[in-house]
Amino acid sequence: MTRTSHTVSFTLNGEKKTFDTRPDEKLLTLLRREGYRGTKYGCGQGTCGACTVLVDGKATYACLLYSMQAEGRKVRTIESAGTFDKPGEFQKELIAAGAVQCGYCIPGMVMSATALMESEKDFSDEIVKEYMDGNLCRCTGYEKIWVALRRVLDRREAATAKRPVAGKKTSSKGAKK
Amino acid sequence: MKLSEFIRPASLAEARKALRELGPKGMPLAGGTALHFMQSKTPVTAVDLTGLGLSFIRRKGGFFSIGAATPLSDIQRYRSPRWAMHEICRRISTHQIRNVSTIGGNICRVFPWADLPVVLLAMNARMVIYSGKESEMGADEFFSSQPARLFSGGNLLTAVKIPVLKAQHGFGSVKANRNAAAFSLVTIAALLELDGTTIKSARVAAGSAIPFPKRLPEVEAALVGREAVTDVFKKAAAAGGTAAKWNVREGMSADYMRQLAEVSLLDALERAAEFARGRVD
Ligand SMILES: Cc1cc2nc3c(=O)[nH]c(=O)nc-3n(C[C@H](O)[C@H](O)[C@H](O)COP(=O)(O)OP(=O)(O)OC[C@H]3O[C@@H](n4cnc5c(N)ncnc54)[C@H](O)[C@@H]3O)c2cc1C
Ligand code: FES
Ligand code: FES
Repeated sequence: MTRTSHTVSFTLNGEKKTFDTRPDEKLLTLLRREGYRGTKYGCGQGTCGACTVLVDGKATYACLLYSMQAEGRKVRTIESAGTFDKPGEFQKELIAAGAVQCGYCIPGMVMSATALMESEKDFSDEIVKEYMDGNLCRCTGYEKIWVALRRVLDRREAATAKRPVAGKKTSSKGAKK
Repeated sequence: MKLSEFIRPASLAEARKALRELGPKGMPLAGGTALHFMQSKTPVTAVDLTGLGLSFIRRKGGFFSIGAATPLSDIQRYRSPRWAMHEICRRISTHQIRNVSTIGGNICRVFPWADLPVVLLAMNARMVIYSGKESEMGADEFFSSQPARLFSGGNLLTAVKIPVLKAQHGFGSVKANRNAAAFSLVTIAALLELDGTTIKSARVAAGSAIPFPKRLPEVEAALVGREAVTDVFKKAAAAGGTAAKWNVREGMSADYMRQLAEVSLLDALERAAEFARGRVD
């Protein structure tokens, strides 16, 4: 049996790291304490999605994960998705669409969209809603966030020529059901 | 819940030994999502179950066997002929929660809003419990009261066995909630066995709007031996409306909840009958 010391080691944005922690510290608290402040604290109870990170490629609420649960896993935060000078593809579209109001929800939205784009080939509205249903925007800017995301997804679909963009039925309505 | 230690046992036997030694100071941890909301006077040691090979879905004989630490998102995505578990898992909370929370965590300590106990009661699932060796317990006994009673001595749930539905079986589940990610107001699940157009057997269960998930024998009695038609389903649903004491919920009267339960019962029965007649999605 491994009785753990109070440290946790995991790959963070591609780099192997070891952190001091406490058994009941949340991954969200650890990340923010260590300077990864792009991951936001919203509700702290698994409702808003502001704290979304990827753990082994899966979107996860960092506020409901004990830091110890990240041992040996691959964790990715918004800091891996792009920078102010070099935003990622979805981030560029968010800016172009004027989708960012206060911006608090955006890191979580970007991480959920990253999980979607890396895991799926089918970007039907139903699948997109499934991946995005755990991210709330308190500024209620869903419409433009959805438009920005659809632009990226439509481009990807066109590139793989799985579903041609022309004539494809997608909804420009908000991402929430 | 405050954690004082976090241990990662290498085997089920080690996990059980640690939990037996720790007594009330130990707590199995699967996804850990519920632990954040549980209260305890003193900090506990979390015993992590996720490294024990308990995440799987296999079809074996007449059962689908789901490992206790299988995340809900894996159950939602699994497909096989006569498989019906995906429907309810898609309706539980959000993508991020489903990626982490597990079937075992959902049923070993039942919270009032839990959806899976309702479905497993209707499906007549069997729970596999490790107590040094594995044994099975049927859903009726497992959910006869809070299942946490079964795990206080360090025993662990290892798998849930779901009977593969036969051709004449149909299953339907309905979750009524205010928005896609919200807790359930009423959850209903129904398993019907048809003999031609007649209902040969029925298992119907409800949860959320009642204090603890349970079967509704009054509804089942109103179905068995009768035709699988809307009129019969309506009468059975009405029997369900009066059979249970439906809880008052935020802003909703008990009578409203009763009506919601009746409508949900009718929907679940119609869905189960469609499934038995060959609906595949
Ligand atoms: C925001 C939010 C919304 C939710 N909405 C819903 C909903 O709509 N419907 C619904 O059904 N659920 C809902 N849930 C509940 C969610 O599915 C639970 O948190 C989950 O079921 C617990 O799973 P877990 O794997 O995280 O369990 P854990 O938190 O790890 O454990 C829960 C309990 O089960 C025990 N346990 C776990 N595994 C075992 C085992 N193998 N053997 C013995 N004991 C074990 C633990 O000791 C603990 O007491 C929601 C949760 C959150 C946070
Ligand atoms: S802060 Fe984690 S879901 Fe809101
Ligand atoms: S932009 Fe403000 S919360 Fe979404």
